[in-house]
Amino acid sequence: MVVVERKELSFLERIYFPAILKGLKITMSKMFAPRFTRQYPEEPLPTNEVTRGQPRLAVNPDDTIRCVSCGLCEAACPAYAITIDGHETERFIEREPERFDIDMLRCILCGFCEEACPKDAIYMSNELELADFSRAALVYDIEKLKRPVSALQDRIDYVKKINDRWQTSSST
Amino acid sequence: MSMILIWLLITVACYGAVIGTAALMTFAERKVSAAMQYRYGPNRVGPFGLLQPLADGVKFIFKEEVIPAGANPWIFKLAPILTALPAMLAIAVIPFTGVIGTFEGTEVLGSIANPEIGILYVLAVTGVGVYGAILGGWASNSKYSLLGGLRASAQMVSYELSLILAVLAVVATTGSLNLHEIVAGQSGWFGWNVFSQPLAFVLFLVCSYAETNRHPFDFAECEPELVGGFHTEYSSMKFAMFFIGEYTAMVVMACLTTTLFFGGYLVPFWADAPWWMGLIAFGAKTSFFLLLFIWVRWTLPRFRYDQLMHLGWKVLFPLALINIFVTGLVISFGPGAN
Amino acid sequence: MTKIILNGREVEADPKKPLIAACHANDAEVPHYCYHAGLTPVGSCRMCQVEVKQGEMPPRVVAACRTPVAEGMIVDTESPKAHETRRECLEFLLKNHPLDCPICDKAGECMLQDFTFDEGQAAARTDEPRRKLEKRKDLGDVIVLDQERCILCSRCVRFFDEVTGKMQLVIADRGAHSVVETFADRPLTGNYQGNVADLCPVGALTLKPFRFKARVWNLFKKASTCGECSRGCSITTEVLRGDEVKRFRPRYNADVNTWWMCDTGRFAFEHPNRADRLAGGQRRGYADSELISTEEALDQLADALGEHRAPVVIASPFLTVEEGAELLELCKQLGSEARFLSPAPNELGDEILHTGDPCPNRRGLTELGFAPVEAAEALELLAASKAALLVGERIGELVGTEGLAGLPTSLQLYVFDTNACLAPAAQLSIGVPDHTERLGTWVNVDGHRGKISAARSAPAGVRPLTSSLQTLRASIAGAEVTA
Ligand code: SF4
Ligand code: SF4
Ligand code: SF4
Ligand code: FES
Repeated sequence: MVVVERKELSFLERIYFPAILKGLKITMSKMFAPRFTRQYPEEPLPTNEVTRGQPRLAVNPDDTIRCVSCGLCEAACPAYAITIDGHETERFIEREPERFDIDMLRCILCGFCEEACPKDAIYMSNELELADFSRAALVYDIEKLKRPVSALQDRIDYVKKINDRWQTSSST
Repeated sequence: MSMILIWLLITVACYGAVIGTAALMTFAERKVSAAMQYRYGPNRVGPFGLLQPLADGVKFIFKEEVIPAGANPWIFKLAPILTALPAMLAIAVIPFTGVIGTFEGTEVLGSIANPEIGILYVLAVTGVGVYGAILGGWASNSKYSLLGGLRASAQMVSYELSLILAVLAVVATTGSLNLHEIVAGQSGWFGWNVFSQPLAFVLFLVCSYAETNRHPFDFAECEPELVGGFHTEYSSMKFAMFFIGEYTAMVVMACLTTTLFFGGYLVPFWADAPWWMGLIAFGAKTSFFLLLFIWVRWTLPRFRYDQLMHLGWKVLFPLALINIFVTGLVISFGPGAN
Repeated sequence: MTKIILNGREVEADPKKPLIAACHANDAEVPHYCYHAGLTPVGSCRMCQVEVKQGEMPPRVVAACRTPVAEGMIVDTESPKAHETRRECLEFLLKNHPLDCPICDKAGECMLQDFTFDEGQAAARTDEPRRKLEKRKDLGDVIVLDQERCILCSRCVRFFDEVTGKMQLVIADRGAHSVVETFADRPLTGNYQGNVADLCPVGALTLKPFRFKARVWNLFKKASTCGECSRGCSITTEVLRGDEVKRFRPRYNADVNTWWMCDTGRFAFEHPNRADRLAGGQRRGYADSELISTEEALDQLADALGEHRAPVVIASPFLTVEEGAELLELCKQLGSEARFLSPAPNELGDEILHTGDPCPNRRGLTELGFAPVEAAEALELLAASKAALLVGERIGELVGTEGLAGLPTSLQLYVFDTNACLAPAAQLSIGVPDHTERLGTWVNVDGHRGKISAARSAPAGVRPLTSSLQTLRASIAGAEVTA
């Protein structure tokens, strides 16, 4: 059993008013302290390579998508946000997604897809804004998800650096 | 004829002033709280965000009206009106300033009406306000609302008692129920009732917070426990009515505090100040109490319900009784007794 | 039966089968690639090595698929030495493997993946370039070969040789240059090619119709029975996202099909995946056709049937035994003769599995008392009657859409089918589930009772045929009582 010893309060403490006045003094003094709210739309959030924004698909400079629709991100996604259908291509890499949907309303920006991807094809971009007038419009299809590699380069380098930390020298 | 015109003018001005202040209060509430928390508060709508109340109003109008299943629709609709109305009615007798002038042989006063029983009238109409909360809570067919309504009524009834006793002390010292006379009775050096009746003032202030359901006594809506209390189920304009009611009640209470304890429209050290000076003085004093309402809200945490009842019945009520008893003794046998 | 000691436990082993079979039968997993219970063991992959001690000899590591069981043999499948040998084998198998699992259709059910996960080392120890071979070799209509992925287990080669009796694949060249090829690059033929894609332990042989269509772990799999011929091979139905049938695959059943199935059945998902399914009822009304609910349609059908004496009733050959029994009751109630449509035999029959009779439940329906009618006969019967009831999956299509369209409108035609019957004579069509959406039994040509099961749900609003028929019978009986 826990016995809580309560301090006997003095009369001054019991009438409570000095404490109230003290509290009022504190709040009033804060009123004139400098503010640090960010004026959001005018002052956007600074993002850097560590920012885990919405996932995006990397597109090579030659306009080919890196994703091979292996479905590992789909399987890794804890929010069941990703749906992929693959199809065959004429390229050397025979497979690419025909449909790649991420339901941005489901996505929790966890980055598991980025971690799961064996083809360095999906990255957490620095895009954070998400607003539209219908739910359907927020299920992003492949065209909305494509980003050139150059736009994701910082993140790609960062992820590589992090991954290299875990890799032993002998692995492929 | 023209007397009626003047009277209409005063009515419109008074109501405009009070309701405008109430609207501004919703804005001030957010601005002040923001400032206290290192934030900016609303600053998007209009200059400095001043049009925020307007935007809120428009938003409320366009919101969907929801009447919960199983609710009693008539009482459900009546409750917000019952909350807003008493506070509005009380405005009628508040003396905003003294004599403005004489017209056709009649003195034009700075209030809409000047009944002999002014303060009694105020207490009577504001007392009805509790019905809004309890009926709204009951008619919503929701447990949270019902609990909120019950709490509100218990709290208001408990604190109303001390409030009235505190006012009674003032009435006793002044010897009048007429608000203008109460104000007039506070002229001169340290004539304000707050000096002669400091305990009554403290009691009145505390009770006025409880009466308007403000922090630290906002048990009726107590978000963490009751979702939104008696107005949980309300939306759109009906919710806005509760909101307006609450803020108007605050303004009325601030006006009353000024009138009863701080010399109303009297300007200190300027006995024959013009009427507009009185108006400014009244506005300034009232503004301070309005600010105090907000200030206290963002400073103090909420009481526990048993503490609330303890405070109301075991502390404030006996104190109020003692106060009125001592006041009575002093009036009957004190230095000024006849 | 021979007694051996397997992992410290005395077990019975079949002396006619290799040691690996005894291990598998007794829950001792032994990795293997070239061994397949349905094919002759060749011992080419060396993955199945286990430690064996026999008599006075010191224990040694042997290939379990090529070692006969002997009395008193002491077998350890988990000994460190066995594990080490298997890991080394695996390393060699992976030496030239392209490791393109993200692209490979086999990923998720690949034995190379599984056993690498169990035994292997995650990292390669060489930086030598891997073998470059043909990655998209077209082997006919069904199979695509990726030579880089092949581990030369020769299962596919042996399958064509031993099961179909016609050798079509061969391991060409020798040593490090070995590749799987067809003779003179001729495409594969026959109705059993698909099986080699199942057989291939890696993703070297893939099915064209399934290529890159789905990831196998996303498929919902349910044991069922094939409906393409009266053999009724045991299969699994594999459905993607509760919606589209993506694959049928053979399921081992010693009494019917062992490990195999024909390509006709394997790729018979065209019909289940039809988009124009009838979800509810369709009636011929003032505005031509109107959609109504199944319940409403059943009510109207009961009223309509109450007015006719002995309508012609023709059941679909896809009817299960349970549905057949229900329908038989209805026939008795209506005073009709129970018939089922018997489609003409096709050319696909062979000695291996396919019977050539595209009627999965012929035996079951005949045993119940249904009389077979050919499509032409059926049309004659229909043309000569006032009212008729066609019952079951695909019945309209099997009787012949054109034939039905030519029927006189004096005939009142009522149809239970997966798709609406558009013939002018059709008064009312009621949707039924197809054989990937319902439960039941088909009796195959040898009397084996094959279960079919629901791998997905029928379109919303469709009721099982048995329940529809029960409702119908009850309301007809009710109407008679009140009349
Ligand atoms: S970030 Fe996480 S939740 Fe979002 S798509 Fe990727 S795996 Fe799914
Ligand atoms: S894990 Fe990478 S390659 Fe695989 S489907 Fe996702 S994005 Fe494409
Ligand atoms: S193609 Fe497959 S089954 Fe044929 S030899 Fe190669 S790995 Fe074995
Ligand atoms: S399974 Fe025994 S050697 Fe291949």
